[in-house]
Amino acid sequence: MKKIAVIMLSILLLFSVVSCSKSSKEATSSTNEKNVTLTFQIWDINQKAGMEAMCASYTALHPNVKIEVQVTNWSEYWTKLEASATGSQIPDIFWMHTNEILKYADNGILADLSDIVEKDKFSEISLANASGSNGKLYGVPKDKDTVCLVYNKEMFDKAGVSYPDENWTWDDLTNASASIYKATGKYGYMAYADDQLGYWNFVYQAGGYILNEDKTQAGFTQSATQKAMKFYIGLQREDWCPTQTYFAETAPGDAFFSEKGAMYFEGSWNLLAELENYPEMVGKWDVAVLPKCPDPIVGDGRATISNGLSYSAGAKNKNLEVIKDVLKFFGSQEGQILQGEKGAAIPAYENTEYSWISCFDKYPVDITKVTDMFAYGVQSVNNASRPEWKSKVSDTLLKIYAGEIDIDSGLKQMQKIVDDLSKN
Amino acid sequence: MRQRARMVDVGSRDNKWGLIMVAPTILGLILLNMLPFFQSIYMSLSSTKAFGAYQFCGLDNFVKMFQNSEFWLATWNSVYFCLLTVPVGIFLSLIVAVLLNNKLRGTTVFRAIFFLPMVVAPAAVAMVWKWMFNGQYGIINSLFHTNVAWLTNSNTVLISCAVVAIWSSIGYDAVLLLAGIQNISKSYYEAASLDGASKIKQFFTITIPMVSPTLFVVIIMRLMASLKVYDLIYMMVSESNPALTHAQSLMYLFYRESFIAGNKGYASAIVLWTVLLIGIVTALQFLGQKKWVNYDV
Repeated sequence: MKKIAVIMLSILLLFSVVSCSKSSKEATSSTNEKNVTLTFQIWDINQKAGMEAMCASYTALHPNVKIEVQVTNWSEYWTKLEASATGSQIPDIFWMHTNEILKYADNGILADLSDIVEKDKFSEISLANASGSNGKLYGVPKDKDTVCLVYNKEMFDKAGVSYPDENWTWDDLTNASASIYKATGKYGYMAYADDQLGYWNFVYQAGGYILNEDKTQAGFTQSATQKAMKFYIGLQREDWCPTQTYFAETAPGDAFFSEKGAMYFEGSWNLLAELENYPEMVGKWDVAVLPKCPDPIVGDGRATISNGLSYSAGAKNKNLEVIKDVLKFFGSQEGQILQGEKGAAIPAYENTEYSWISCFDKYPVDITKVTDMFAYGVQSVNNASRPEWKSKVSDTLLKIYAGEIDIDSGLKQMQKIVDDLSKN
Repeated sequence: MRQRARMVDVGSRDNKWGLIMVAPTILGLILLNMLPFFQSIYMSLSSTKAFGAYQFCGLDNFVKMFQNSEFWLATWNSVYFCLLTVPVGIFLSLIVAVLLNNKLRGTTVFRAIFFLPMVVAPAAVAMVWKWMFNGQYGIINSLFHTNVAWLTNSNTVLISCAVVAIWSSIGYDAVLLLAGIQNISKSYYEAASLDGASKIKQFFTITIPMVSPTLFVVIIMRLMASLKVYDLIYMMVSESNPALTHAQSLMYLFYRESFIAGNKGYASAIVLWTVLLIGIVTALQFLGQKKWVNYDV
């Protein structure tokens, strides 16, 4: 028995030594003068260079602060972040997405950053994307984006259809698709099951909504929303649009860049990577504004979902003062231009869009169409329970596509899912 | 009797050292397996909120679960996947084991080939098969001149996944069975062939009864693995797949509820149900084994 006790004790001792060494490390790094190494978690490998450029500039000004950029895939990012937040091990700085910010902010995970953001330099949507339910800023606006229409010029030429422009409506979209399919045998507009890059745009163009003003109720059974959803889901019944079974195996982007289809909706954040990754396609495609709803129930028929990321930090971080100084730099004009110049994303800071646009100088695409759409951008839909209803709504949408339920009862189900989860 | 007496003699000293030696493993088991198991039970009785906050709520999660059609569909998917993979998989591995036991030229090469799928990472296996099953340009459709959306049709999706599961498990199971077969004394076969029994007769009357203990273990392991299937289906059936609900196994549902939707309490209830299911199936196996497993060699 004595020996067992000795062994147990030594194990205990070992643990306490380990935990001691850890806490002493934290203690030395909490003072400002000492060297600090901060971790910075992001999910997009394409933006790593831009983020590192910003960090390097900051370190050049403050040699005692080193920032280490870590990339975790989007698919694992939120699992990992939630686990690390639950275990009080959250990274020092991390990207925050509109989908999740309210969940994190409203549960007290995020540090209040209201005092370091130059509020008059960011658009209302950018600030809303970085705010908690209480209106305080829990993130420094990082970038902004829009959804745009990407089209294959060669296929339009072959079918003798004129390129999409500002006057295009939903009818032009379907007519052009039909002509292209008839003339070339290729798919026209590829309408796939997606919210931000899909039906949300149509819903807001028609004057409908996904969540009401105070974010407590869904709008799936509202007439304008229904009109748009029926139009969008119905597109897959056309010959010129692939079905969801096709998209499950072939992402619309892959189909487009292997010249199987003429048009799809793409997020502005992917455009530069696509120009770089498909050099043989450069010159064959271009970007246009989203077609508008010809007969909206409310409004002028124009809308594009405009989302934006922000930089956040944990509320209980011991180095919060240092981190705030870093984030202040990230949110400054200089920091924002740095990420724009590297082509990472469109900076959220007012009048710095040009830095991102200039990355496209060597490519024959009309990239200003993307930034033109900010005039009628709609904030990406979110509330605190968005992570919970997102996958359930998406499952229901897939059931409609699969023909397992009809569209009316599907929309009713979506309404109920979101309403039930959004109540409290 | 003699052996037992000896054990008692030196028992007290040996026991102590034995315990000390296994202490790290036991400690690991308690900390990493037992504790989380009981925590799961507690969590299944709680309503969980984000970031580890939870509140006792009695049987609410179970009531919600048993009323949910998606849950019953996932249960059926898991059972159906078992029915598809276990009988066929075991039968094929038995045949492979018997064939590999023959003195053919290049047996070692064949053994290596059959074992290879076990060495390849499951994610890589799923990626390659996903391409082969692709409805547009998959090799399977062009080989058989068919036009089936193997992975996106709700009727074929689980069958396709089962094919991959069988393919990757045959080698391992066959090696286990082969070890069992090689332990069978040659004299049985010699006696049987002297009596004029055909090879097929020998297979059913000598090989199967003699290898039954190994077969039993293999069946139990395969059943448990099939009921717990997650990685393969997760890799092959993405969340944009319209056949998702017809492919979603209990563990896949658990993953989505727990890590995507964040309902850890509800997800724990699903896990407990799966444990119960596996427990029942395994208990039935142990009851049934008396009828066919032969331990007197």
